[in-house]
Formats: sequence, structure tokens, C-alpha cells
Amino acid sequence: MRTKKWLQTGLAAVMASALLIAGCSGGNNGNKNSSSGNDGEVSTEPVTFTYFGFGANKDTMASDTTIGKKLQEQTGVDWKMEYVVGDGSTKSGVMIAGGDYPDVISPVGELAKLLDAGAYIPLNDLIEKYGPNIKRVYGDYMNKITNEDGNIYILPFTANVNGYLSPPDPSSTFWMQRRVLKEFGYPEVKTLDQYFDLIEKYQAKYPKVDGKDTIGFATFAGTAGEFFTITNQPMHLAGYPNEGGVLVDMESHEAKLYQGTEDEKRWLAKLNEMNGKGLVDPETFTANKDQYLAKLTSGRVLGYVNYSWQINDATNNLRSAGNDDLRYVALPIVFDEGIKDAYVDPPSFVNNRGLGISVSAKDPVRIIKYFDNLLTDENQKLVEWGIEGETYTKNAEGRMVMSEEQLTNRNDNDFKRKFGFAYFDYEWPRYGDNSVYDDGNAHVPFNQPEVAAINYTDGDKTLLEKYNLKTFSDFYAEPVERPWYPAWSIEKEPGSPEQLFSQRAGDLQQKYYPRMVLAAPGQFEKVWSEYLAEYNKLDAKGYEEFMTNKIKDRIDGKW
Amino acid sequence: MGKTAVQLAKSNNTGTSRFKTFFKELSKQKMLMLMSLPFLLWVIIFKYLPLWGWTIAFQKFKPAKDLFDQKWVGWDNFKFLFQEQQFYRVLRNTLVMSSINLVLGFVTAIVLALLLNELRNVFFKRTVQTISYLPYFISWVVAANIVQMALAPEGIINVLLVKAQLIDHPILWLGEGKYFWGILGVTEVWKNVGWNTIIYLAAITSIDPSQYEAAEIDGASRLQRMFYITLPGIKPVIVLILIMNLGHILESGFEAQYLLGNGMNLDYSENLDIFVLKYGMQMNNFGLATAAGMFKTLVSFIFLIAANNIAKRMGESRLY
Repeated sequence: MRTKKWLQTGLAAVMASALLIAGCSGGNNGNKNSSSGNDGEVSTEPVTFTYFGFGANKDTMASDTTIGKKLQEQTGVDWKMEYVVGDGSTKSGVMIAGGDYPDVISPVGELAKLLDAGAYIPLNDLIEKYGPNIKRVYGDYMNKITNEDGNIYILPFTANVNGYLSPPDPSSTFWMQRRVLKEFGYPEVKTLDQYFDLIEKYQAKYPKVDGKDTIGFATFAGTAGEFFTITNQPMHLAGYPNEGGVLVDMESHEAKLYQGTEDEKRWLAKLNEMNGKGLVDPETFTANKDQYLAKLTSGRVLGYVNYSWQINDATNNLRSAGNDDLRYVALPIVFDEGIKDAYVDPPSFVNNRGLGISVSAKDPVRIIKYFDNLLTDENQKLVEWGIEGETYTKNAEGRMVMSEEQLTNRNDNDFKRKFGFAYFDYEWPRYGDNSVYDDGNAHVPFNQPEVAAINYTDGDKTLLEKYNLKTFSDFYAEPVERPWYPAWSIEKEPGSPEQLFSQRAGDLQQKYYPRMVLAAPGQFEKVWSEYLAEYNKLDAKGYEEFMTNKIKDRIDGKW
Repeated sequence: MGKTAVQLAKSNNTGTSRFKTFFKELSKQKMLMLMSLPFLLWVIIFKYLPLWGWTIAFQKFKPAKDLFDQKWVGWDNFKFLFQEQQFYRVLRNTLVMSSINLVLGFVTAIVLALLLNELRNVFFKRTVQTISYLPYFISWVVAANIVQMALAPEGIINVLLVKAQLIDHPILWLGEGKYFWGILGVTEVWKNVGWNTIIYLAAITSIDPSQYEAAEIDGASRLQRMFYITLPGIKPVIVLILIMNLGHILESGFEAQYLLGNGMNLDYSENLDIFVLKYGMQMNNFGLATAAGMFKTLVSFIFLIAANNIAKRMGESRLY
């Protein structure tokens, strides 16, 4: 009973410090140019700045990684890198309330809130003065990175340089264990029904693996923050890319919510049916992420739904384990044969994820110079490819390639952390994934056809051969250009009706999804209508209007 | 007229003399005063000054802005709070879970203290005590993980129950809303019982041993000694702690519910603090969060005063 004061103390602190901020915010905003040096050379004296990421990673000192060390040699700057533990919104709330920010922040989902609180300094002048490389990389995207108030606050991670190279290994959200496909002679799997039929047949044949029950289908919906894993699927199944809650009409550019529609019902009804047959993991809605990942790596799961970036560690571990039969392959699953899948992202620019300098930063000039230095071709190669001769080699034609050992390392989680790939190849100002260097090499190693080919294991090759494909991207339809894409990056103002709608609608989904999926077979319709009745009380119209307007703005070039 | 003058002089007289004695007393205890001054300041700065923050409840608060730049919205935040359907559900959950914790926490802690007190083997006693208060030092994140693992379909609880043939197939404990309160109660007890016991054990040591000796000579059994000496001996402590805990009646905990809660038990697990986190803090709606905090304080205040008064009427020890 003594542990209860947490929130109260928190609130008290919020109130207390809010007053303090109110008192001294005036003096805080104007320190843009309080740098140590003048316009010319900035000193390379050793200094340590703080970095905070709202993404998931392990805390480290930049100089403890090979890449960080190299960058430190060039600039004298070291970073104390910290990442959020637990709930990001709480952390950002505390940060704002305290008014005490790290030097740079990668806000991920907390951008709107931090912007609202004035946590970032405008970068316009700094870029103008000290950022030739920044200007080169972000030049084409200036209108997309400039806020409504005319300021640039963050440098996003998706600015593609020198053209567009689409990835050879995209992934859908529907994954199938390879031994299932193998068992049935690598059949074509396109629709949701085919996908589940296959799982059902396999499960009937092999109900147990190593003495434990086979799990037909699993997904991760146990944590509120990642509930989208299960709610996003109707969108993909209906043939739309990830727009975050809405389907955008290609012609009229109207944004329509799919919550409460036939699409959502169809997905849930299918899950309900599968659950009735005992194919859905009973822990779908209760397991935490660790439990879920452990299950995926155990090889007992036949099919699952997840974005690949949610489960990188698990897939990498499965790969290192070396049994290709137990690995998974992502398939372009849709509702009906006639639907064209849209799992491969169209060329897009995400402008609400990036790295910005906070108002607490002691020396913005050195930081911006560090960013600028990071954006040279050489350093971009360093953060993606590493060091020549060590983590990659150049062949006679000047193409960057990797030996098998180098590739194994590049795929290994521990090595990636030690070398620094895990820290520096994302969440820092960078070339977008689809970029190409001047010499024609791909920016991302796995987009380099030579590397992608070596990266394939024997199992990969067999699989592709059986389906008569060259790369995994051949599974999917060509992406269609969507100039507003992705709609999920449209920021909703904190406390706005749109945000309130999202929260309420999300709450409803969290409450009713489990009920609908786990309902007794005859009960589904009843729970569905209950859900619909509740949902119809919310202002979906207003939300759709808001999104449609924002999308039309984007098409008109107003990002 | 003369009378009044006399009275006036008289009262004046006593006034100054009171004044005098006050200062006399003050100068006598000036070291004591000086020593308590920092703490007085501490209380003012950290407990009273922040009360200004309550103004946030009446604003559409934007962080990092001056008080004068804030938009004032009157009672809007309170209206939203009390008109929100969910509010009453989370209020119910808060009250229920808090009461469960209160009762369970009390009973188990006192019983454990009584039992430990009866132990004569010091080594065994120490061991029991250490084991029982160790979970208190585990963070809730770890504790929740342990609970989740134990309650998983293939976790130890289900395995044991199935083996003992009490149930046919594993139960999804955390997936059933109606089990949640029980699970939470047991978890809280497991985590805090050892720690809560310490204060009662300390109170027990202050009981005069001669009372036990006398009772023993009179032929009182162990159970009787517990009931007629130990329990009445620690009664003041029990009442005091009860009053203090009643002041926290709207705080049923946060971490445990947040970490063990999921979509399936939402209707039972979501409490006031989580509601405030979701609709207040996460949406940057600090006004609402503060309004909820004020509501909590008000309720706590009423409970505290009431409990204290009841204790006073019943002639028990009390907070003030």
C-alpha cells in the first residue's frame, strides 16, 4: 500500500514545475546562437551531448560503438544515448513538465506534444549557416519538413537522395511458417481464406511440435501501445497501404474510416471462426511482448500478423538459429482474388519522425555541424555499410558487397549494437532507405542486389525457386503513387476532437476486439452489433472530414 | 463606562502577558524553532506552493507558457470528467480495488505480525520475514511479469490446477475481467505483506513483557495472549494506519493495474489513475489531469476527516 503515491507525486511535480516553467520560459527560447565558436571553425574539443530516443533500443555511449567512435574522432562529439523505457507519452509528459530536455530528441510518436510545448528550436538559420549537406539532402523536401509556422524543427529519416531504389525484400503483415508451405508443395496463397485453410490443414496433420501444441495463429495485441497490429489488418486486406485508420480513395481523395465497416467485420469474423476451431492463440490479448516474441522464436506458431519492424529481434534470432523450415515468409494476403495488394510502400516521405535539437541544448551549432557531418556520403556509408574491408568489401567493378561472414554479422543483433549499426542507421538525420550513392551503390545494404542475393539462405533460394520468383518483392504488386502517403503521419493536435476520437475509438477496439474474436461461434453477430452501437456514438464524420482536408492539403503541396 | 475600561485594561493586560509568555517560551526554545524552520520551509515550498498548480484545472493548459497566456475554461474540465461515461466505471474499479487492498493488506499484515511474534526460533523467524518482504523491493514491472508468467495458460498455476484435477483445461486468468480484482488483491498481498508487517512488529515490541508474564501465570493460552494482550497493544497503531490509508481511498495503485491490464479485463482493471493517464497526460490535457487530481484530493480529505472524527468519538488514538 505504500507504492501508491506514484501518480500523485507525479502530478504534484507536474504542477510545481509547470509553474516554474511558466516563470522562466521567457529566457529559454532565445539561446539559438549561444555557441562557443563563431561562424568559422567550431572547436573539436571533446564534448558529450545527450540523445533521447522514443524508439526502442538499449542505452549506450556513442563512443562505445565503432561508428560512434569514428564520428567522435571527426567531430569531438560524444553522445550519451538513452531510450524510453515503458510508456512514451508519460515520459514526454514528464519531460515537458520539467522543462528539462536532453540536447537532441527523436520524438517518434511524441512530436506533436513536444512541438506544442516548444521543446524544439527552429533549425532554419542553423541549416542555412552550417548545413551544406543538410541542404543537399533535404532540399527537395523543404516544404514537407517546414512547419506551419515556417520553422523547421526536426530532420526526418526518409529523405531519399539520388533517385529511388525499391527494396528487394519488402514484407506484408501476414507471415506463414515455411514448413507449412513446404508440406503442401508451395501452393499459391493469396486470400485470407486460403491463408487460414492452409494453417488449419497443417495443424490437423501436426497438432504437436516437440511435445508442445502447435499454435495455429498468433498476433500481438496484449499491449495498448501496439494494438494497431490487429486493428490495421482490414486496411491491408482490402488492398490499401498503411494509412493509419483510414482508407483514402484514389480518385476523390476522400478519407474513410474502416472501423465499423464490413471490412473490419470480415477480418474479425474470420478470426472468430478460426478461434472456434482452436487455431487462434488464446494468449493473443493477454501476453506481453516478451512472452509473444518467445513464442515466435519457439517455432510453434504457424502463422502470425506483425509489421516486420516490430519483431526484428525475433526474426533475426530465428535466422541465426539456422533452420529455414522454422522461419517465416511474408505473403501478400488480401480479402479476395480480385484485390490488388498494396503492401509495398509507395515512394513516401514521413515528416513526423525525425531528430530535433531541444531548447535545453547547450551548443546547437556543434550539434548541427555534427548532423551535417553525418550526412556526407562517406559517413552515410559508414552508418549503413560500416568500414571497408571490415564489414563490407568493394569488388572489381566498385560495387559494395559483403562476404557471408560479414553478412552474418550485419544480421546479428549483438554485433549490430556493438558496431553501432543498431544505433546510427536510423533515428539520426540520414539518407532515406531508397537512396542511391553517386557511384550507383545502394544506401541500404539489403537493397543492393548483390547483397540481397548473398543474404538469401538456401531456404530462401528454394522458396523463391518454387514460386518462380527472383526476389521477395516479386510476391507483391507494384506500389501505386500516392502523393499524400502516408496519412498516418498527419499530426493531430493534442487535446483536439480528432485526437479524442482516436482515443475513444481505440478504447472501443481494445475492449471489443477480444470479445468478438473469442466469442462463442454463434455469438459473434451479437457482440458485433453491440460494438457498432457504441462506435456509432462517436463523431466519425468529423474525423473523416479532418483527414480528408489534410490529405487534400498535402496533395496541394501544403505539408 | 468605567467597567468597560477596567475590562479593557484587564484583557489588555492578559493580552500582553500572553504575548510575553509566548515570546519567553519562544526564546527558551529558539534552538528547537531554528531546527524546525527548514522543515517548515520545505513543507511550504513543496506542499503548499504547488497548490497554485490547481489553477491548471480551470485552464486549457499549454505547457511552457505564462499563466497569463493560458486559456481559461472555467469548470469545463470538471464537466468533461463527470459527464464521461467511463469515469463512473473507473471510479467504481478504483473504489473496489482500493477497498480490497485495504482490507486484505490489513488483515494479512496483522495476522503475519502476530504469527511472527509467536515464533521462538529466531533463525526461522528472520528467514520468514526476509522472504516475505523481498517482493516489496522488486519493481512492479518485474513483479507483473512474474505474475503474467505464472498465470499464463502454460504457467505454473494452470499446470498445478490441472494436475490436481481442479480444472479440466487451463484458464486464461488475465483474460477474464471478473478474476482481475482477486488477482490484483493476491498480488498486492504477495508484494507488500512483509513490508506492511514491519510496523506492527515494531509496535508489538513496545508492549510490556510483564503483561505476558502475568497472563501466563493466570493461565492464559497462547491464543488468548494474542487476543487480549498483543492485539489491544497494537490497536492504536492499527487505527492510526487505518485512518491514514483511508485518506488514500482513491488511490488503488497504478503500476499493477497498468501492467496487468489488457483489453480483455479493461472493464475491471482500468482505474482512475489510468483514465487520467489516457485522457489527461497522454493527450497533453493537463487541465483534466489536474481536475481529476483535485477531485481525488477532495474525496481523500473527506474520508480522512471523517475517519479521524469517528476515531475521536470512539476515544481511539487519532491523527490530530
